[in-house]
Amino acid sequence: MTTTPDPEEAQAAIEYCYAQGWSDGLPLVPASQPLVEAFLATTSRSPDDVIGELEQVGRNCTVYLAAVNAAMAGCLPEYFPVVLAAFDALMRERAARGGGWQSTSGPAPMIVVNGPVRHELGFNTQGGAFGPGFRPNATVARAIGLIVRNAFGIRPHVLEQATQGLPGRWSICLAENEEESPWPPFAIDGGQPAGVSAVSATLLRTCEFVDNRHTPDPEQILWDVADTISRTGSLIFRDTSAGVVFCPEHAQMLAEAGFAKADVQAWLIEHCGRTGADLRRAGKNGLRGIARFADADSSEDGTFTRILPSPRHVPIVVAGARNAAISMVVRVFGEWSGTAVEVGT
Amino acid sequence: MPYPILDPTGTTETAARAPRAPRRRNLRGVTVGLLVNTKQNAAPFLDEVGRLLIAEHGATGTMARTKVNFAAPAPDDLVKEMTTSCDVIITGIGDCGSCSASAVADGIAFEVAGLPAAAICSDAFRVTADAMAELRGAPGYRYATTPHPVAVLTPDQVKQRAAQVLDDVMSLLTEPE
Repeated sequence: MTTTPDPEEAQAAIEYCYAQGWSDGLPLVPASQPLVEAFLATTSRSPDDVIGELEQVGRNCTVYLAAVNAAMAGCLPEYFPVVLAAFDALMRERAARGGGWQSTSGPAPMIVVNGPVRHELGFNTQGGAFGPGFRPNATVARAIGLIVRNAFGIRPHVLEQATQGLPGRWSICLAENEEESPWPPFAIDGGQPAGVSAVSATLLRTCEFVDNRHTPDPEQILWDVADTISRTGSLIFRDTSAGVVFCPEHAQMLAEAGFAKADVQAWLIEHCGRTGADLRRAGKNGLRGIARFADADSSEDGTFTRILPSPRHVPIVVAGARNAAISMVVRVFGEWSGTAVEVGT
Repeated sequence: MPYPILDPTGTTETAARAPRAPRRRNLRGVTVGLLVNTKQNAAPFLDEVGRLLIAEHGATGTMARTKVNFAAPAPDDLVKEMTTSCDVIITGIGDCGSCSASAVADGIAFEVAGLPAAAICSDAFRVTADAMAELRGAPGYRYATTPHPVAVLTPDQVKQRAAQVLDDVMSLLTEPE
């Protein structure tokens, strides 16, 4: 005779978690001491180690609290080193250490996993890279959201003031499609050696698709990407940062035409921007410090203003299936730290 | 006996109660510290409040300082400098998710340092400002509000807003006999 868990007990435990205010809106896995101990056993770090601090609210996150939240998010214990690396990577972002979690822009972490750990833990590296359906991708990202909510105490409508937020705020965890990428893994751009399992992370304001499957000319792809990057709605400061998550087809087309990743970045830095007239029409031509404002002065109408200051402001990742030429512009909130964190033991 | 469900928040302690600075009877002869948080229109707004406190309430002068990181509370050395040189403090404008909370946190920091403070926030951020006050041990901390939005106001509109909030600022900073 097989026994199945008592659904009424499970439901009562789930409702208990809701009643405490711990949930992001979806059911949580109730965390018990044995479950959390299994998480803590996957790392050599002490449960008391502080892995993130939010000074303005006087809260911090320890390895122990991260484990409780990761368990509640639905992670398996073996995912925990990836959660810790992802959180470390995020805490290297100035915005994540400052006011980013409270921001009206409601930014989403984008987590990028590289190396053997992708396959060891069963991360999706193929189609639907931004979509649902895969436990490691879904729960590692969710764990970060629960840490922000519970350990940092940043809750919607209270200390979190997102005006509209963005879809999938706690669900973007890509495992790079290294096998079909023509370029070195993203973690190498973040300073990690080849072959190492590592996690990179930044905060995003949104993701915008670029669907271009009918041209054999790689430069037309780049013009299409540049148009999306250059849209005025996203420009609020002098500089901006926008990454591209290329699908394998676009990446391979560019690589075959001789574009290394650095060449793509240099091309986009050169071609992304707007004329003064475009910016003035949208009320964003003036600069007060680094912030854009509506300036009546039209003397710069004819000037083309570039908006991407450096390659670090144009992170490039390859993800998704090779079944269509659809890539994603990822709008970075603030700027990427430029570093990847090794998945520890 | 089943295992208990673990708490993911790690919070048990409540913040120590923050003291409120003694109020002045009036603002005659005082130096008004203006802690500007770099949000759009914050500087002209606070400048105008300062000007009106001089013109209408007898303050002697103002000292303006800018907080570079609007999301974080003012650094200790800035609080110390302003506490040494000023008699009352105006902070603002709380006009975003993090800066509204931190404008109130700054007000409370000056109260702890012994100076009456008036934080000014956009009325769209009351909840987050109140939540921060509670975190800082000052539940119910009073601050002034101005209608949202602030960033799009023209210079003349900023002056009107400053004039409109002046009575509230006065009642936050003073306790007439």
